[in-house]
Amino acid sequence: MAGKPGTNPTTYSPSMATGKTRTPIFKDHDVDWVRPDGRGFHQCRPAFFRTGAVNSASGSAYAEFGNTKVIVSVFGPRESKKAMMYSDIGRLNCNVSYTTFATPVRGQGSDYKEFSSMLHKALEGAIILETFPKTTVDVFALVLESGGSDLHVVISCASLALADAGILMYDLVASVSLSSLGKNLVIDPVLEEESYQDGSLTITCMPSRYEVTQLSITGEWSTPKINEGMQLCLDACSKLAKIMRSCLKEATSTSQE
Amino acid sequence: MVGLSLGEKHFIQGGIAQDLRSDGRKRLTYRPICVETGFIPQANGSARVRMGATNVISSVKAELGKPSSLQPDKGKVTIYVDCSPTAEPMFEGRGGDELSMELSVALQRCLLGGKSGAGAGIDLSSLIVVEGKICWDLYIDCLVISSDGNLLDALGAAIKAALSNTGIPRVNVAVGASGDQQPEVDISDEEFLQFDTSNIPVIVTLTKAGRHYIVDATSEEESQMNSAVSISVNRKGHICGLTKRGGAGLDPSIILDMISVAKHVSDQLINKLDSEIAAAEADEDES
Repeated sequence: MAGKPGTNPTTYSPSMATGKTRTPIFKDHDVDWVRPDGRGFHQCRPAFFRTGAVNSASGSAYAEFGNTKVIVSVFGPRESKKAMMYSDIGRLNCNVSYTTFATPVRGQGSDYKEFSSMLHKALEGAIILETFPKTTVDVFALVLESGGSDLHVVISCASLALADAGILMYDLVASVSLSSLGKNLVIDPVLEEESYQDGSLTITCMPSRYEVTQLSITGEWSTPKINEGMQLCLDACSKLAKIMRSCLKEATSTSQE
Repeated sequence: MVGLSLGEKHFIQGGIAQDLRSDGRKRLTYRPICVETGFIPQANGSARVRMGATNVISSVKAELGKPSSLQPDKGKVTIYVDCSPTAEPMFEGRGGDELSMELSVALQRCLLGGKSGAGAGIDLSSLIVVEGKICWDLYIDCLVISSDGNLLDALGAAIKAALSNTGIPRVNVAVGASGDQQPEVDISDEEFLQFDTSNIPVIVTLTKAGRHYIVDATSEEESQMNSAVSISVNRKGHICGLTKRGGAGLDPSIILDMISVAKHVSDQLINKLDSEIAAAEADEDES
């Protein structure tokens, strides 16, 4: 994976300073389950981001959350296809794909057709489309390894790639998902937890504006539980955005040197 | 889509702000719902739901199949929505694909519950015939005949009505087959089992236009939306699924407010729908 010229190609360790520290909030009586990777229920996986993963793209980013590894490249803005009608605002084209070796069973990436449209909806509200009329921005995401919570890693990584491409946005988009297992809410679930979950909640938000651009819930939830889950996710989103922002700052400061 | 002049837009927005919409409804009033059941003889269950000019059909077909190896104790349900070009010329060819998929995914999310099957409107374990060997596969196919907004709610109602109309034939498993052999089955054509549909949630879509939200938006009103949230609520008042549409961001507190409004509205909608379904079934029995 080639870094941008000027960035030191260090071997990274995902658990370095970028790792999230969250105060464990869960109570003793809830502990009847040990998470496969030994995290607390309300502890996210260590997040690692790096911009400039693909040289030929206008902007790109690589993200790694535990075992979930994702690469996103952004091309454009470039002229819309001839068949498209005139539009005085820009278009966004998103595509999410899985490598055949991303999942335990070969070629069985989960239903990623819906992921493309969900990625589109999550980003659409954050990009200032008025700044590139008549043109299209392509966002291509590739899941190299699926380790659970793929979509939220893709969304966060894509917003970083858009920022790297210099496309104007209102705010960075951060996304966090959460599983409900019995009475417990487990943040940032891994593949194993996802297959046992009773319900899931994914929030995509713009933390500085405190606006939710995408929200989806499955399974049965009571209102207090939704409240709790949303608070947890929003909190995690704002922390994730800080990590993303510091990654961007780091990238620009090293390229200036 | 709908092309509106500036004056028409102002008229719609002003109406919503004053709680008097262009067809005389209040913000949280549904259009009259009309349900017809059992009119597709080839299917195990069917229903047609009309809400104003929105007209959808849902049919349920059951076939015997093999449960997946990951979940040997559960049957399978597939929901598919077809947007016919008769509804709108833009659905022709592949034009309706995106909307079809969006609706199918939203319906699956709202009706089928989490991965473990908790909170599902349809009890998948009741579809099993022989564990690990034979189960019922339910194919729920919906067709949009004409569209005047609020498709998701109408489709949700149609599926609920079609399922309550569905009779699954009783299956007798031949005793004696053991081990790896595929057991022999005998499908009865006289005895039918009914579904328990009381747990199937209804879907309430709240469309946000300006500072207010409305239910059951017509396509003219939908063209004015910033964002919409579809919430499925079951009889117990629990949320079974939620999907956000539209790109604009929403404040988290507004979403929570929308959830509580949706709960309130769903109460009336469930009762209304139940009585409509009961009336439709009674009609069908008579004829």
